[in-house]
Amino acid sequence: MKWQMLMILALGMNSALAAKPAYETYLEKKYYYTALNEFFYETYDKPITEKVVNKLEEILYFTGVEILEDYDEKLLLKYPSSSIRFIVGRKYYQDKNFKKALTYLDNIHPKHRYFPEAKMIEAQVQFHLGDKEKEESAVTRCVKSAAVQESEAGNKKIARYYKMIEEVCHINAARNSFTRGEYQQALTNYKKIPKTSYKWPYVILEQAWVYYQLNDYNRALGLLSTYKSPLLDSYFFPEAEYLSALAYFKLCLYDDSLVILNQYYKVYRPRFVQLDKLLGTHKKSKTFFYDALTDQVTGFDSNEEFVKKIFTRLKKQIRFSLDNNTIYKLNRELNKIHATESKELQKELMPHLADVRENIKSKINYNAKKDVYEFLQTVPFFSAELFKLNLEIVARKRDLLYKNSQLSVDEQKRTRGEMSNVTRTSKEHFWKFEGEFWADELGDYSLGLKSNCQEVKVEEKK
Amino acid sequence: MRIILLVAQLMLMQNAFGEEKVIYEYKKYEKFDLGNLEVQGELIAPGDISVRERDRKKFNLDFFNRRDFNSFVKQDIEAFR
Repeated sequence: MKWQMLMILALGMNSALAAKPAYETYLEKKYYYTALNEFFYETYDKPITEKVVNKLEEILYFTGVEILEDYDEKLLLKYPSSSIRFIVGRKYYQDKNFKKALTYLDNIHPKHRYFPEAKMIEAQVQFHLGDKEKEESAVTRCVKSAAVQESEAGNKKIARYYKMIEEVCHINAARNSFTRGEYQQALTNYKKIPKTSYKWPYVILEQAWVYYQLNDYNRALGLLSTYKSPLLDSYFFPEAEYLSALAYFKLCLYDDSLVILNQYYKVYRPRFVQLDKLLGTHKKSKTFFYDALTDQVTGFDSNEEFVKKIFTRLKKQIRFSLDNNTIYKLNRELNKIHATESKELQKELMPHLADVRENIKSKINYNAKKDVYEFLQTVPFFSAELFKLNLEIVARKRDLLYKNSQLSVDEQKRTRGEMSNVTRTSKEHFWKFEGEFWADELGDYSLGLKSNCQEVKVEEKK
Repeated sequence: MRIILLVAQLMLMQNAFGEEKVIYEYKKYEKFDLGNLEVQGELIAPGDISVRERDRKKFNLDFFNRRDFNSFVKQDIEAFR
């Protein structure tokens, strides 16, 4: 009887050992990407228990969810986990199916690592659905949860990711206020972005538009002058040049507008032509952009410094950081399998991992190409707007000449600004700009130009 | 009645064919004594009412004026992953 009992026990243990899923074995060996692949293969046609879902979350903690973007939605939705809801909800947001996006984004656990990012997207969903109250609530929850996750982050990179989420939530709230015409509220939100933030140089242009809409052209021009600082010389936006020219135009300072226009045509346009030419030759390349981002392209000559700066900007994106990290982890896993596993297992596991790595490289290449071309597309648009502005200025100057009039500020008596023309709050202090940019002053500049829009008749010289 | 009408028509046709060719000749030289010419009316100086100022046609070019940052929001969200 004892022997029988022992036999049954031994058989039971054996079957339990045999039933241990392969993905768990891979997970123990820290073959995370192999485990993820195996997980879906082994579980998709079986009942999905809480234990299975928790295991998926455990694997995704190491691999991230980016890799699931190409997976079939029906397969993903078999696993009711927060990570899966996040990736599916995000996809519906991108497809502009806002109501469906909400059903998934609204059901992510508040302690989950993707909760802040989900709230960031949810705020935009609510904005598009026109529910301001829920939008503001989502922004508040995004900011608070991101701050908590940042403080608990295990390393600097993760902390930076949460900091970025927090800032983008504030910026998006400002942008939504701007769309609704709530300009003061937009400024309040923009001012929550510290000058040390990676997003801050981008926010300057947006703030300048807010001041433009408030008819504070001097402040808009002052903000845009920040881009002339040597610290920000890698940030160049055709839109900023256009807005400067437009603000001068609104102040009827036509000659200043023309200076901006000439500068744009002389300095920026040849650079964009250069960029267009260089990228045209690599338009169909599946590796050039990836290689350029990972510093594998050498030989950008001095004319192409401009292009190099664009790639430097792209490298600062979270997306690139995540994808590049995935490639690093995949390489590590491949090397480990190659070094420790049998030839048979190597043949079974390595081709899939190599495919995943190539997919991620293609994704990086595609995204960089898309970003560069989207940037390039703004160039002809703003060039055309500047050309229209140029025509209008010439027409207005001609009209003044025909009417024997001139604008109120005499060129000879004109001063380049007075404090009386600067709009400021009681908390703001001003010093004169004396040709030097000081880091703590960046983004706080204002010009003090008087509007030149009043016409006076030209007196005949005796 | 028909006979009368026929006769009248024949008479008219005869007149039409019988017209002589008219040659118009214009004066080759004519002298005007402008000093002697008199124009009847009142002599007035042009004033504000008689000279009407007209503004030049203005073409309102529709300059780009940003009203939203929706494309920026999309870019930022996509830049995360």
